[in-house]
Amino acid sequence: MDVSSARSLTRRQIMQACLAIGTGLMLPGCGWTLAEVRPALSKGNKDELSIYTWESYIDPELTETFHTQTGINVTADIYDSNETMLATFQSGKGAIYSVIYPSDYKVAEMIERKLLSVLDHSRINGIDNLMPEFQDSVYDPGNQHSMPISWGTTGLIYNTEALNPGPEDWEDLWRMQAKLNRKMTLLADFREVMGATLKSLGFSYNSTNPSEVRQAYQKLVQLKPAITTFTTDAWRDRLLAGDLILAMAYSADAVRLIQENPDANLRYVIPASGTSLWSDAMVIPVTSPNPDAAYEWINFMMQPSVAVEVTRRLFFATPNQAAYDQLPLPLRNNRSLFPPEAVIQACERIIPLEPKETEMYEQYWTKLTSG
Amino acid sequence: MSKSVRSWAFPWLGLISVGLFGFMYLPILVLAFYSFNDSRYSTGWKGFTWKWYIAFLNDSRILNALANSLIVALFAVGIAAVIGTLMAVGLAKYHFPGKRLYQGTAYLPLIIPDISIAVATLVFLAAIAIPLSGGLIQLSLGTVIAAHVVFCLSYVAIVVSTRLTDLNPHLEEAALDLGATPDQALMQVLLPELMPAIVSGCLLAFVLSLDDFLIASFTTGGGSSTLPMEIFSRIRTGVKPDINALSVVLITSTGFLFAVAEYLRYRSDRKRSA
Amino acid sequence: MTLPIATRTEAQAPPAWLQPVLMLAPAAVWLALLLVIPTGLIFQLSLVPGIRPGQVVNPSGLDNYIRILQPDYFPVLTRSLFFALGTTIACLILGFPVAYWIAIKVPKRWQNLVLLSFVLPLWTSSLLRSYAWITILRPTGVLNTLLGKVGIPALDILNREPAVLIGMTYSLLPYMVLILYASLEKLDRRLLEAAADLGATPRQAFWRVTVPQSLTGIAAGALLVFITSMGDFINPEILGGASSMTVARLIYNQFLGATQNWGFGSALSMVLILVVSLAIALLLKYGDRNAAGGV
Repeated sequence: MDVSSARSLTRRQIMQACLAIGTGLMLPGCGWTLAEVRPALSKGNKDELSIYTWESYIDPELTETFHTQTGINVTADIYDSNETMLATFQSGKGAIYSVIYPSDYKVAEMIERKLLSVLDHSRINGIDNLMPEFQDSVYDPGNQHSMPISWGTTGLIYNTEALNPGPEDWEDLWRMQAKLNRKMTLLADFREVMGATLKSLGFSYNSTNPSEVRQAYQKLVQLKPAITTFTTDAWRDRLLAGDLILAMAYSADAVRLIQENPDANLRYVIPASGTSLWSDAMVIPVTSPNPDAAYEWINFMMQPSVAVEVTRRLFFATPNQAAYDQLPLPLRNNRSLFPPEAVIQACERIIPLEPKETEMYEQYWTKLTSG
Repeated sequence: MSKSVRSWAFPWLGLISVGLFGFMYLPILVLAFYSFNDSRYSTGWKGFTWKWYIAFLNDSRILNALANSLIVALFAVGIAAVIGTLMAVGLAKYHFPGKRLYQGTAYLPLIIPDISIAVATLVFLAAIAIPLSGGLIQLSLGTVIAAHVVFCLSYVAIVVSTRLTDLNPHLEEAALDLGATPDQALMQVLLPELMPAIVSGCLLAFVLSLDDFLIASFTTGGGSSTLPMEIFSRIRTGVKPDINALSVVLITSTGFLFAVAEYLRYRSDRKRSA
Repeated sequence: MTLPIATRTEAQAPPAWLQPVLMLAPAAVWLALLLVIPTGLIFQLSLVPGIRPGQVVNPSGLDNYIRILQPDYFPVLTRSLFFALGTTIACLILGFPVAYWIAIKVPKRWQNLVLLSFVLPLWTSSLLRSYAWITILRPTGVLNTLLGKVGIPALDILNREPAVLIGMTYSLLPYMVLILYASLEKLDRRLLEAAADLGATPRQAFWRVTVPQSLTGIAAGALLVFITSMGDFINPEILGGASSMTVARLIYNQFLGATQNWGFGSALSMVLILVVSLAIALLLKYGDRNAAGGV
């Protein structure tokens, strides 16, 4: 391209930019709604079920069994944080999913945004099997929109050979920062990370006090040079290989890694000052193309035999009393999986925030990851 | 003459170049090495195995994603080949008011970073196309194909128009003088001359479409992942050796296709000069 | 150069504007729908602070743009520029010897083959090649294992800036070599001979003859690498860590990531387009001056 034609290219670009801007401003005019999520217009293929879930819930054996029982094919897509799930869903990409596995506080948010359909309890078997504390909840009164499927804690998993004595609380991350330098990861979920830091400062996991949140942000800025990366799943291989010596993890993932690799010298610890107590639930979005298959899946997962398998293989603590009773003794006594009452009392559930507060958290998170 | 030129070729040049060749192929060799290594995490050699290849061949998600990628690439390049070539020929032939603007817009996808194109397309689809169409248009492979056509046609157009400038301008005239209709002149004279450039542009666009991650991520609907999206999601959740097997398979097949394409081009070049 | 405009002489000739419209309209419509209008839309969105899907769009000001300039977010821009410039310089330094070697030292009949084999990795998935660098650069990866055998302590490269630079340079080096080769191949050897006859050393000949003659190639290659690395998402995302946020990642996060702020993301996209256009404009201005000055 010679210079004169290239120069006219810039002129063209300027004209093009003006054209684009002009078109943009003229377009629908102000006051249009961005990307509304609307109910499904047509039913999908009734033998196909698409679920949207965390990586840890993917289990080929389970979907095989389900297929044998019902003849429905299950495909699953993965997300690594509740926020990503909501972002994908609201960009219009969630239209094919019939079942989603949000965490408790996200369920409340989705209910508010009218994204979830009301569950018809008469179509679901085994609701009575749920433990009393899961029969009703603050985030979804009467389980009208969601069915709990698992619960657990957030904690730290570390290599006992490299860290001896190991961390017992959130504060130890800062105390041992030099030793942990560049060999630790935190979760990619800003509610969890900010919450943990707030807890280490003695505040609530869900604090909305601007000054407290700012202090938490500043404390994280201190820790940041030692953090390798923020990740929800990628720490597993790295911890086993020795690249990392500590990772912030969900109890189910941590316990599973420890159980599958008994020689790896790993230990999961629930921070003493308290952590978040999460529970995941199955929901059916309003845009679900195959609600019938969705109900089949929910019923399948609520079966005690299946819930037992989920706990035995995937190491999620089950809210299903009937399933719990059928668990082998070592699992029932696993304190990382089923912590004692005292520990649970010290935990907090993550509660949903007002939009303004969420924005404040988001801004700090973006600042933290941009700096 | 060769003697004095050789005195300009600094002696260490060959060494550096060979070193950089090694740099280029190092990741590929590493992938190949670990695709046969019987170990999930260890860096050392733990024995030869085919199991990662078997795992990859049994992995329906990856094969599905690969199929999706190929479908998108084939359709996008197919459409782009036609309208891109027409556009290039039209721009070379005709003058009209606003031609400069049109040309600028046509080559814009080559300049604007992928992410900006991806964002713009998503906003357009989410905000206008889907609501306006009453749900007929959904984010799906179709929207990915539509988005890919945009940059594919730019690449096809630029390769074709480069070739057009080298063409003998009198060929078409000669055809018309000999009594051909304008359409015949186009199809039977111009098109064969342009064919190598069209094929070249299509090949380039095909590879770029297969490799695209951002635009596909933004414009696809749930469940229809393309190969880069699937690979990315697996990288995000940790390093798994069956991706190594996948990479070796992809690299060898691309290399093979490329070698075939080059051989064909070499033969057609020789035929022409003969 | 223009092709002859074919005309029919029969009585029922279709209107003269039919052929051009048929040729140019499809592409025009496609570009308008999926490039021009969307760009206008994101411009409109960029004027709305804090918008997320489901909300009503009411353009209200430049808040998003002002936010980018704040000290909390400005480092993202500067970091992207740093990566882009670093990659461009690295590609130039590494790419020039290879292109020079192929164009000048390798015998004519092998040039094409050698060039293509250097560029062949380009035709495989860029994601996979970046992923391979994870295996190489990990704390317990290939590089550190090899270094350990020689007694050098392990390097902490992965999830930091050096890893991103290595990944980006690796991804873009073939493009640079291709463009530089195209320019160097046209170099008139007789100029080099003449310089030798006039007593210039190889180094003098390089800086005074070779480089000025291939300036257009250098500029084009640098521009391409700069633009592509400014908008690179994969390398910073896979090889970078907690402190390697670039513009492309930040944009991605606003739409498909944790924070959902389509307005901010659109503003960032517009800024990216602006920076890229500036780079092109700067290059053209320099190129203009160069051509006018004459070499």
